[in-house]
Amino acid sequence: MIKKVLVANRGEIALRVIRSCREMGIKTVAVYSDADRNSLHVLSADEAYHIGPSPSLESYLNIDKIIHVAKASGADAVHPGYGFLSENTKFSDRCKQEGIIFVGPSAYSISNMGDKITARKTMIAAGVPVVPGTVDMVTSEEEALRIIEEIGVPVMIKASAGGGGKGMRLVKNSNEVTSALRAARSEAKAAFNDDSVYIEKYIESPHHIEFQILADRHGNAIHLFERECSVQRRHQKIIEETPSPILTHEKRMEMGEHAVAAAKAVNYEGAGTIEFIVDNNLNYYFLEMNTRLQVEHPITEMVVGVDLVKEMINIANGLPLTYKQHELQQNGHAIECRIYAEDPENNFMPAPGKVTHIETPSGLGVRVDGYIYEGFEIPLYYDPLIAKLVVWGGTRKESIDRTLRALHEFKVTGVKNNVRFLERIALAEDFVKGNYNTHFIEDNYDFLMQAGSNTQTDQDLVMIASLMEYLDKVKPVQPEAKATRKNNWKDYNRVRNVMKF
Amino acid sequence: MSYEVKLKDRTAKVELLSRNGSQLAVSVDGKEYHLDFVKVKEGSYSIIHNNVVNNIVLLPIDGVKKYLVNNFKITCETEVIDAETRYLLSRRKGSGDDGEGTILAPIPGKVVKVLAEKGQPVTAGQTVVIISAMKMESEFKAAKDGVVADVKVTEGQTVDARQPMVIIEYNSEK
Repeated sequence: MIKKVLVANRGEIALRVIRSCREMGIKTVAVYSDADRNSLHVLSADEAYHIGPSPSLESYLNIDKIIHVAKASGADAVHPGYGFLSENTKFSDRCKQEGIIFVGPSAYSISNMGDKITARKTMIAAGVPVVPGTVDMVTSEEEALRIIEEIGVPVMIKASAGGGGKGMRLVKNSNEVTSALRAARSEAKAAFNDDSVYIEKYIESPHHIEFQILADRHGNAIHLFERECSVQRRHQKIIEETPSPILTHEKRMEMGEHAVAAAKAVNYEGAGTIEFIVDNNLNYYFLEMNTRLQVEHPITEMVVGVDLVKEMINIANGLPLTYKQHELQQNGHAIECRIYAEDPENNFMPAPGKVTHIETPSGLGVRVDGYIYEGFEIPLYYDPLIAKLVVWGGTRKESIDRTLRALHEFKVTGVKNNVRFLERIALAEDFVKGNYNTHFIEDNYDFLMQAGSNTQTDQDLVMIASLMEYLDKVKPVQPEAKATRKNNWKDYNRVRNVMKF
Repeated sequence: MSYEVKLKDRTAKVELLSRNGSQLAVSVDGKEYHLDFVKVKEGSYSIIHNNVVNNIVLLPIDGVKKYLVNNFKITCETEVIDAETRYLLSRRKGSGDDGEGTILAPIPGKVVKVLAEKGQPVTAGQTVVIISAMKMESEFKAAKDGVVADVKVTEGQTVDARQPMVIIEYNSEK
C-alpha cells in the first residue's frame, strides 16, 4: 500500500492532491523551483525538495530530478496532477522501471489516446461515435466528392500537412464542393507541396461535453457523468458545470456507456476524461481522451460525492473500484469558475504580481481550490490560474445565484483578475437559460465586456478614500522629523525625493 | 485644507472639514458628506454613507499620490494633486515632455526579443519588444512614428511592472 506520495506538480492541484493524501494518512513530498519556495504546496506538504530554477523545463518537467527526489525521499508513488508530466509516456515508463507507482494510466493507454489518428481508429473499433469523415487521406477528387455526399454538408476540408488555417475550407452548400476542394488542394500544394486532404463533418454551434471515468486493473470501469465545458475563450475553459443543461437522461446514459467503452478499449487504469463534441440535436462524437485528472474535476466530486484523488490512489494500489455504476447518481448542481491572474480589459493579458489583499468566499455550498495568500508573489513562469471557485446548489438556479454571491465575496487586489468578467458570464441571459455553446463568449462579448458604472456618489467616495490614504501616508513624516530631527531629516528628504519622481 | 483629486477626466476639489474618530465630514466640489470612515487594514476602507456599506481597496502606484482604486464596481486610477504636483505641472507646461514615448513593461515578465536598437527609426504599430509571462507572449509596439532614443533592456532579462523598456522620441505632429 502506498505510504508516501511525491506530488510532481505545483499550485492549486498540488495542494488538492496533498489534502486527499493527508485524509488517507499518506505522507506527502512536495517539489519546488526557485520561484516556488513560498508556494502553499510547499508549506502544506510533509517534506519538500528543491528541484531547480524557475523555468518549468529545468524543474517541474525534469524527469531525472523528480525521480531522484522520489528515491531520496523514499516515496513509493508519484501523483503528476495535470499539465507538466501528467501525460508524458517517458515519465510514466521511467517510474515503472524505477519501481515507483505512477498514479495514472500506463504508457500504453497514454500514447494510444495521445495520437489523434490512432485514437480515432481505436474508438471506431470500439463502436464509439467519432466525427464523420475520412480515416485516411483523400488524394482524388472523385473520392472526395463521394465522401462528402455520404456525410453531407457542412464539411471541413483540411490539408493533411496543414496548419495555420492554410489549405482549410468550410463547405456549407453542396454546389460549392468542387471549387472548395480545388482551392484547398492548390493552396495545400503551394504551401506544403502536398495536396492530400481529409474531410470531416463540420459541427455547427458545438458543445463541449466530457465524461469522467474511473477504471481499475481488474477490468471494472464506471463513469461519473458529464461536465459541460462550453464556456471557453480561445479553447481555454472558463466556467464548467454539471449536469449539462442540454442533455436528456437517455442521452446522458448512452454517452456514459460509450465513455466506459472508450476507456475499456485501451485497458485504461485510473481517472480519465472522454471529451465529446455535441451538436444542437444532441448528436455526439468522440473528440479525445485526457489521461489525467482534469482542472474541472471538483464539480463532479461535488455532485457525485466521490473524492477522485482518493479513488486514483486506491486504483494505483491495485484495489477494485469503491463504487459500482448503479450506486452513483447526480445530486444537485455544481459550477466551477476559474479565477485567472489576467486583465480582461487589456486583451486578457496575464498579470503576475504580488497579492496585496485576498478575501475568499465561504459559506454553504462553496469550495475554493486555490493557492495564493496575502503577500504571495504570483510567479510569472507558470499558468495564470490562481484559484477555482466551485459552488454546489440544489438546483441549477441556486448554484448560479450562489456563484454570483461567492464571486461578490471573492476579493483579490494587487493582481488583475477576471472575477468581474466571471460575474458578467453568470449574469448573461444565454448562460442563465442554459442556452449556450462554444461560441458563447464571442456571441456575448459586448455584454461581457460592459464596464461597471459608478454613480456620482461612488466617484466621490473613491476620491475621499484616495485623499485620506494620501494624508495618512504623508502626515506621519513631519511629527517624526520633529522628534529626532537629525536622523529623520534625511528620511524626510528621501520621501520628498521619491514624491518628486 | 483642500486638495484636488483626479479620477479619469474629472478633477474635484476635496476638502476635509472635520474628523472625530471614525466620523468624517468631507466636501467634494461643494457637496458635503458625513461618513463613518474606517481603515480596515492597510489599503482597505469601509465607508458607511447613509447606512449604505461601501468597500474600497486602494493600491499605491508610483509613490504616494497615485492609486489604483477598486470599489468592486470598477477599478480606476486616482491622483491626489497637492501643492507640489501643482508646481511641477505648472513648470512642465509647454515643455511637451510628458513621457509618452517610454514603453513600460505593463506586467512583470521576461524579455523574449528586442526588435529595436538605439537610433533606429520606427513606424506606428511596429513591434519593438516582446515579453513573455505566464506562458503567453505579448508584443509592445510604437504608438507613433519616431526614432528609438534608448533601449533599456536586453533579451532574456526579467523586467518588473512599469519598468521602462524602450524610449522612443516620437515625431512631433505637424
